[in-house]
Amino acid sequence: MLGSTIINHQQHVGLQKLSALAGLAHSFLGPNKKYKFIQDDTSGESVMVCSCFRILENLELTCSVGQLIYETVRAHQKVHHTGSGCLLFLAGVWSRVALEFLHRGIPVASIILAMSEGMDICMDVCRKSSVSIDNLDMEHSQSSTALSGLQLSKEPIKDTSQAPHQSKGTINVGHKSLKASAQRKIKLSRHFCEPKSENMSTEFQNPQPKLLDIAHIAECLSHGCVEAMNLVVECSRIQSKSSQQDSTCSKFNVSKVMTCVLPGLPEEEACTVQGCILLLSADQASVAHHLKDQLLKVVLIDGDLSGTYRHLGFKRLSGIQFMSEDTDLSSSSKEENWMEKVITTLMNLEVNLILISGLVGEKVIQRCSSHHILAVEKVKVSVLNAFADSTGAVPVTYVTQLSKSCVGAGVKLVIWRDLSSYKRKSSLAVNISTGRNIELVTVVVTSCIEGKLQALEDQFWTCAYRVHHALKDRALLPGAGVMEMLCAHHLQNQAERDPPQQTKAAAANPYRSVVLHHMAEGLIDYISTVMVNTGKFSKLQARTAVNQQLQDCNKNLGGAAFFSPLFSEAEKKDRLISSPVRSTNPPAVKVYDNLSVKQEAWRKALDLVFLVLQSDAEVITGIDQTEAVQKNLMLL
Amino acid sequence: MSRLVQKSPSLCTDLPLNNSDVCNKLRLLKELLKSCYGPTGRLKQVHNNIGGHVVTTSTSSVLLPALSSSQPLVNLIRSCILNHVSRFSDCGLFAAILCLTLIEEAKLSGLRRNVSIKVNKHLLGMCSSYLQEEDCGCRVVLDFCSSMNLITLTRSVIYSKPACVLAEVEALHMSKLAVQAFLLTVPCNSPGTVRLGRIVTVGVEGHPVLNSAVLTGLLVEVHDHLSLRMIKSMQTNPLRVVLFSASLAGDLSDLGDGIIEAHTGVDTDSQILDQLLEFCKHVVEDEVKLFVCQKVLHPVLQQYLRNHGVIVIDRVGVALMEPLTLLTGAQPVATLHTTIPAKAYGTVRSLSVKEFGSKTMLHLQPAAESAVCTMVVCHRNETMLSELKAVCQQAEHVLRLTLKEPSALLGGGCTETHLAAFIRNKVRFFTSLILLVIYLFITVKNTVIPSQSLNEVSQTLTAVECSQSEYLLGVEGFCRSLESVAAALQHDGGNSLTDLTHAHHWTLPADVTTENMEESLTFCGCGLTRNSPNMKWTHLNTKYPQFSPAPALRDSTVQPHVLDSFTAKLNALQVAVETANLVLDVRYVIQDTN
Repeated sequence: MLGSTIINHQQHVGLQKLSALAGLAHSFLGPNKKYKFIQDDTSGESVMVCSCFRILENLELTCSVGQLIYETVRAHQKVHHTGSGCLLFLAGVWSRVALEFLHRGIPVASIILAMSEGMDICMDVCRKSSVSIDNLDMEHSQSSTALSGLQLSKEPIKDTSQAPHQSKGTINVGHKSLKASAQRKIKLSRHFCEPKSENMSTEFQNPQPKLLDIAHIAECLSHGCVEAMNLVVECSRIQSKSSQQDSTCSKFNVSKVMTCVLPGLPEEEACTVQGCILLLSADQASVAHHLKDQLLKVVLIDGDLSGTYRHLGFKRLSGIQFMSEDTDLSSSSKEENWMEKVITTLMNLEVNLILISGLVGEKVIQRCSSHHILAVEKVKVSVLNAFADSTGAVPVTYVTQLSKSCVGAGVKLVIWRDLSSYKRKSSLAVNISTGRNIELVTVVVTSCIEGKLQALEDQFWTCAYRVHHALKDRALLPGAGVMEMLCAHHLQNQAERDPPQQTKAAAANPYRSVVLHHMAEGLIDYISTVMVNTGKFSKLQARTAVNQQLQDCNKNLGGAAFFSPLFSEAEKKDRLISSPVRSTNPPAVKVYDNLSVKQEAWRKALDLVFLVLQSDAEVITGIDQTEAVQKNLMLL
Repeated sequence: MSRLVQKSPSLCTDLPLNNSDVCNKLRLLKELLKSCYGPTGRLKQVHNNIGGHVVTTSTSSVLLPALSSSQPLVNLIRSCILNHVSRFSDCGLFAAILCLTLIEEAKLSGLRRNVSIKVNKHLLGMCSSYLQEEDCGCRVVLDFCSSMNLITLTRSVIYSKPACVLAEVEALHMSKLAVQAFLLTVPCNSPGTVRLGRIVTVGVEGHPVLNSAVLTGLLVEVHDHLSLRMIKSMQTNPLRVVLFSASLAGDLSDLGDGIIEAHTGVDTDSQILDQLLEFCKHVVEDEVKLFVCQKVLHPVLQQYLRNHGVIVIDRVGVALMEPLTLLTGAQPVATLHTTIPAKAYGTVRSLSVKEFGSKTMLHLQPAAESAVCTMVVCHRNETMLSELKAVCQQAEHVLRLTLKEPSALLGGGCTETHLAAFIRNKVRFFTSLILLVIYLFITVKNTVIPSQSLNEVSQTLTAVECSQSEYLLGVEGFCRSLESVAAALQHDGGNSLTDLTHAHHWTLPADVTTENMEESLTFCGCGLTRNSPNMKWTHLNTKYPQFSPAPALRDSTVQPHVLDSFTAKLNALQVAVETANLVLDVRYVIQDTN
């Protein structure tokens, strides 16, 4: 049976739902996030959440728009780990904007056309205002040398003679005479990065790519999560040290980072440890004490360690009958046989440590322990791979596959912390590593409040991925609302102007101007919400402040707008940084955002709005008659 | 023990089309599909109300399978349309809307059902023969010397699905890629019967559409990083390939319902595994370097093969098997009971690793000329990507159909309005001829009447077995149905017009007043005719004087912007009329309610 409900009468219910659900995102924007409780009325259980993704995950939305939102946010979160709040918020405001247009009778096709153009404008502005992380780094090192309380002279970016250089994307990093401000150049596109070394004068050419200072980049990207970001910087320091033997902080490999959650300890005890921290039960603990500070032999098992486990895709025989003359072997003795074989194999190979991605029975662990073999279950596959890389061990599925060539050597086990006094399940935390050359880093997240651990862990990953994306993009965007302001400003300007010639379809769109204006409004709404969330502004104050800034910007530009857009942007950025939005931070730290993450979040938000805007009906499959009558559905 | 439940009697509906519930359901289905039609159509969100995946679509091939109903008539129509879609990929919505409108018009006309059916059938024949005529005004002969018309045809297919959310540039890019991929599947110099190759579509989520590309050879996704590491250290000589369609998981999945009896001490699993290992040993001895398995490969075998320098890819899936056999020339091994004959092995020229977004894939290049290519389709999110993938496959099918019949029909509703005008004109010619006959019969008594025309007229009326007025009523219903399909392209409250010269379809935005109408009409729906000073328009579904629709002037500088597949549309027309006739013919619906 199938039901169908019409979403699009005069009121577009889909868009309304979208904008209502996006309301969830309001308090998660900006550095001052507030926790929310989600309570289940039937079971009485509750969860504490602090991000859009977690709230959607726990809400179990069944309506199609809710589902669509969740799918979009989940897809974004999976790749970027940050920016979901921005995505949801903008989807909300823009859906309100679209709704408004529908009320005015603007055709859907025109709305989509103009909003797409608006998005292209924003993307273009983002590209043009992105700052290379190399330049960011330079600026930092210079400013830190001149840290004698002097104000840095912020000169406008050089004279026009540099313009052609900039348009080619040359960045004269090694130029001695450049002042601090001149180094902070705005790249036109991140795609122009490649020919950089060719264009540089050989005199100053650096044969080695300059090492980045991740600590500084991380500082700019912390967005209020200073503690979590410090952990990220620490990870980077450890990883750089293990690969380069120096104390810089220039490498960060997010795939070699893992987290370990320890409830019961105060939050200040969160730390970063080289190697892999694993929590052990009391049984395993005694073996660990026996094995500590030795060089161990390790095997890696990808799957469960049990006699009945079969690899993925294996179908058990159903039509088999066993005949036997003597008394039937019970299943326990079969298990015993298997166990015997496993232990013999392991003993022959002199294995001390087994890391298993799947599950291991209590009995097996005990049996291994009695032979001084430590078996650890539920180890992430990425950790297995890291150990495979650094020890030469080959991951296998069955113990019978093991041979000498599969065994890795040189693993060290160190007792990291005794937790037995906390009366927890796990009594011992050990650090397993392969000496100094392993890049694997564990971040231990601690909290006295168990409900908060998830949020803290998420926060760490958010910070880690911000740095990761910054290194991947090699560029950042001015943060703290500057980017949104710039885009709003450009949208408003474009709305006044005639559309460019190449988009002749847009020329025929009479609603272009009004749509662009409203899109800009959405961005302004975003900035003001972030400002409100700081607790220092009322909604009205925030809006006036933002509008004032935009007006000032327009006035200052005047006729010179076309002449030096870069200049105006740079100056405006300086001005905004000193605006009270970020006054909680020390003034020296500038705030930056991720380029690709922001672009993706904006695009996804608009795509979501487009999909919902164009939908006019919900087709529900597998619904029965009574349900349909209750919900006032039409049955086909 | 079986439980006895009293059987409830079957439910019989007499004259289902007179039943208001049935009519409501048919109307709902019509509205649902009508609102999906065309490039500005509305999307439908299909989901199961318990948190399952939401599919957002306006494509008939995705939407119709979800629209199952309790009403057999609805299901009948649905399966007829789905059958058409599975054969031709295109014009599913057209067929469905036309069919449902024809049923509705037949009801409204109040004609006897059998008269409606006969008139419909007669007019269908008239349309089909006209469309196949040499001088048909709405058919375009495709020129394979230039890719322009092919790209237009593809673009029309791709652009008609708004769930793809494509900008104009992106739609053009995808159309070009689709045509390019299609051309790659046509083998260049193979003697004898030409066999078209295959396009394998690979979707990559989270990348801009403009990153989509067409590659020769095949991309196969690889899951484990052990194989990848081996490939990186491999020299690129032609490699021997073996393809397995049988499962090598170490189970006996093809056992069926049979029962095996075994001694307790026997370990069946290890015995099977030993057999498989023996098998793999042969493969290694035969110097195979690439081992591809459709299903699961036992980890022990993987390890064995890798240790002997063989690259292993398992779980490639059934969809890739045919392209793989085409590319490598290998024959898939389906049984483990005999040794592999030497001719079952295939070759690939080279292997390389390609990364698209989060996907790491192995690129297999053919050793000989092969008509297999891969189309990598990128889009920003999953919903849009799955729609775009479906549309690209649809476009491929449409392009293949052009090889059988190298023509296309004008799109944008122009074919429908043109056909309607053609029918009206032809029928008027008939009826005036009848009047002439009667007149001559009364006045002159003894004249020579063009016997051929007379024959046609009498044949028509005897074939249809109805009076002249009934005939005209049926014709009007048919024409209105055609025109309402054209009008269904408009969703934002605009008006549909037709011009009185070529009878093409024009749309007038909702906010344009009739005074400045002429300025806002620049091109017709298909883009072949443009606004000219002495052109006159009339609203669709209003009475207009009959005229013979002139074919648009074939100026080589003006090319149609929108084209539809000729084969698909002709068949859709037939399916629509025949299904409508079938539904009109139903007297009773008997449902078993148990």
